[in-house]
Amino acid sequence: MALNRKVGFFKGLKYKGGGPMWAWVLHRTSGLAMVVFVGLHIIAGFLTQQFGSEAGIAINTIYENDIFQLVIFFLVIFHAVNGLRVVILDLITPLLEYQREAIWLEWLIIMALYSLVIFSVLHDVMMG
Amino acid sequence: MKKITLKLFRYNPETDTKPHYDTYKLEVEPTDRVLDLLEKVKGYEDGTLSFRRSCAHGVCGSCAMRVNGENKLACKTLIQDIKSSKITVEPILGMPVLKDMIVDMEPFFDNYKKVMPYFINDDPKPEKEHIQSIEEQERFDDTAKCILCGACTTSCPSFWANDEYVGPAAIVNAHRFIFDSRDQGAAERLQILNDQFGVYRCRTIFNCTLACPREIEITKAIGEVKKAIATGSLD
Repeated sequence: MALNRKVGFFKGLKYKGGGPMWAWVLHRTSGLAMVVFVGLHIIAGFLTQQFGSEAGIAINTIYENDIFQLVIFFLVIFHAVNGLRVVILDLITPLLEYQREAIWLEWLIIMALYSLVIFSVLHDVMMG
Repeated sequence: MKKITLKLFRYNPETDTKPHYDTYKLEVEPTDRVLDLLEKVKGYEDGTLSFRRSCAHGVCGSCAMRVNGENKLACKTLIQDIKSSKITVEPILGMPVLKDMIVDMEPFFDNYKKVMPYFINDDPKPEKEHIQSIEEQERFDDTAKCILCGACTTSCPSFWANDEYVGPAAIVNAHRFIFDSRDQGAAERLQILNDQFGVYRCRTIFNCTLACPREIEITKAIGEVKKAIATGSLD
């Protein structure tokens, strides 16, 4: 009997698609992470309204944590810039020939924006 | 001569319940190809090893397989181009494995047939050939290079997730006729591809472009088909 065609998550990740494939994987992951972040935000607001501020504050402390902020900002910036890259390449098809250069440009923009976030978060931590 | 360790995916439906890997130590020339290694194992170590091959010169598209985790034609992959001395060969992903490196290509060809990959022209036959300018021919020059090896389709995560997606190879072959000035079936093909399992399943991941042994700009071709559907124009 033939083996099932199913390609599981980890089996798929082992395929060596290189930078563009990892950009797609991270795009999906960052999208999910943002759903979790916004979900926490909504739950915090709901709990505060229903049961008083104690419960809401407990959740707020998770996403107001500096590490959480650094991670979520990276994911939001990546998701936005990578999404723009894909939309631009999809709409202006002749640019698809320069997809490798587009990935480099994308990371340049991400690092520039993210360094501002790092500076801002570190500034807050140091100034208390 | 170079010493290499060759790790091969093995599955025999008559004796195995699940696949396993066999390892072979070989001495090879840097100019040998992965296909030569498979032939060496089949000829001298284990005659039951099964894989497809035909022309052995990168034209027939029979020997697409995963070499060190990446889709390649075994007959076009030189040992000197593989950095590691460990080489793992596995069947292409997303197709049912029949035996060792041999997969069932029927789902692939079913998707291929969906896009009507043949010349459609109901006009009366011209006296000589259908005339076409160089510029008109250049529109589909790239996609006409496809050898139907399946390396692109089986590297595509959208296809791994759902084999009803027609896949990059079928779109490439649709592109070859859609943008052919002599063909008259473009509207019908675009309608077929303007479907939930058509071009919009493409997430612009680029695995197909990187996997193509003929270096076809597949994602670009898919982009041009998407644009033709969205604008209703082939310009």
